[in-house]
Amino acid sequence: MEFDLEDPLVSLEEEQTFTISELFASESEHVPSPNCLTSTHFRVFCCEAISLILQVQVSCKLDPFVAYLAINYLHRFMSSQEIPQGKPWFLRLVVISCLSLASKMKNTTLSFLVIQKEGCYFKAQSIQRMELLILGALKWRMRSITPFSFLHFFISLAEIKDQSLKQALKSRASEIIFNAQNDIKLLEYKPSTVAATALIFASHELFPQQYSILRASITASEYLDGETLSKCFDLMQDMMRMEAKELMIDTSFLSTETPVSMLERNTKRQRI
Amino acid sequence: MEKPGGGGVLSAKEAFEKLEKVGEGTYGKVYRAREKATGKIVALKKTRLHEDEEGVPPTTLREVSILRMLSRDPHVVRLMDVKQGQNKEGKTVLYLVFEYMDTDLKKFIRSFRQTGQTVPPQTIKSLMYQLCKGVAFCHGHGILHRDLKPHNLLMDPKTMMLKIADLGLARAFTVPIKKYTHEILTLWYRAPEVLLGATHYSMAVDIWSVGCIFAELVTKQALFPGDSELQQLLHIFRLLGTPNEDVWPGVSKLMNWHEYPQWNPQSLSTAVPSLDELGLDLLSQMLKYEPSKRISAKKAMEHAYFDDLDKRHL
Repeated sequence: MEFDLEDPLVSLEEEQTFTISELFASESEHVPSPNCLTSTHFRVFCCEAISLILQVQVSCKLDPFVAYLAINYLHRFMSSQEIPQGKPWFLRLVVISCLSLASKMKNTTLSFLVIQKEGCYFKAQSIQRMELLILGALKWRMRSITPFSFLHFFISLAEIKDQSLKQALKSRASEIIFNAQNDIKLLEYKPSTVAATALIFASHELFPQQYSILRASITASEYLDGETLSKCFDLMQDMMRMEAKELMIDTSFLSTETPVSMLERNTKRQRI
Repeated sequence: MEKPGGGGVLSAKEAFEKLEKVGEGTYGKVYRAREKATGKIVALKKTRLHEDEEGVPPTTLREVSILRMLSRDPHVVRLMDVKQGQNKEGKTVLYLVFEYMDTDLKKFIRSFRQTGQTVPPQTIKSLMYQLCKGVAFCHGHGILHRDLKPHNLLMDPKTMMLKIADLGLARAFTVPIKKYTHEILTLWYRAPEVLLGATHYSMAVDIWSVGCIFAELVTKQALFPGDSELQQLLHIFRLLGTPNEDVWPGVSKLMNWHEYPQWNPQSLSTAVPSLDELGLDLLSQMLKYEPSKRISAKKAMEHAYFDDLDKRHL
């Protein structure tokens, strides 16, 4: 059976009712431990590591789900460890190992040589040792439950008949989830909450007339806490505003190529 | 290289006291052991991690992850932990730590055969329900077992709880059939489409095995005790009739298909005379030739045969 990030527990839709409550029951085993979220070291380390992972994703043309899974492993692993100081090689080794594990779970061929074409080269033995360290810390729970796992369930609550509409909703929600992976603040929220929030945003953007129905059916779910959902919504709204601003700045830069315009762009960016 | 977070974690050898070796196979050894910290008895399955130029082998990674996921169900033997250690040559070994169960269904049935008693009908019903529930759980996660047999169904004789074992990597500890004559027993529970060389398995192969186990619980004898693949098929055909394109579309195109003696189907009650009408109906739905027509594990749980079973603790 192929491990599918959208359905880590379910492979047949007819069996879904058998496992949906289990999906919600299991998700807290696949998030970072809460204490780390206040740590500056954790945030700095993870930001840098995520940046590296996304670089590899681009240069190796990786499936975005592989990168997403690698980032999930990174967050879970680093939240259970002390961040080592004065060992610059450690970050690279963790990144390579998380990418390696994620690609194996997704049955993607990803050789160590390709990942490491830039920078220092680790021996296979060192990477395996780090892989085993990560596996032990994560208790070999590598079939991660992520926001993608919940999209199908929440969409089904709204009883949307139009298949292309459902697909568009899922695609846009997935895009929102991918874009959100940079923001460490979202780690406070369970994957199901992030999924619900992303869907509400996607429906508001794409199908305003369906929005109120979808929002009502999602928030009515027994598995979600309304207050937490509201906070997550506010956070994601802030992120979306930031995304919109970035887009606006880029567009305005393209429209005029004067040095003044470029200077203005840099000033705005610094202010943000 | 320092190991962050490595301090304070006992190695497998330090954490467990091996009591006795209870199994051995191509991939490693199985021990009954005691966890020193808690005194708890566990089953330790040891496997060497092959040195690979690309780190931890993907197969190992995926299969242990599956076992971790499936361990949530009460009717699947629980993988409690995965420990790393080193063998005498300094190679990395993995220890899969499973809950230990005192007996299995094979021993259970044999004990009744020896005393000449029949297994109580309500006991059969309870065990069968648990088996269907465990199989439904695995299938609900897209996992086939493919080697269900009484030896792989562990039991607690005090509580009559039943658990499925030998899934995934754990199954790697089963010895290959060709090396030991007594392991041809695994043929007895094998679905006809597998024997006929079908390349694409479905969940129905496990349901066939469940049906064979069901009949064996009632009669205390294997339903189809073949000693070769051909004999296994002939055993099946003698009872259920030789299949043809009418009862099983596509059967004559399977790789191992030949001309066989033509038998007419017999009533299942001739093979399992003491099973009641509802039980015979459920059994017949488990032993359909055409895989897609076989009842699913989940549907089996809803069958009327189980209506009078108290399911509150199962």
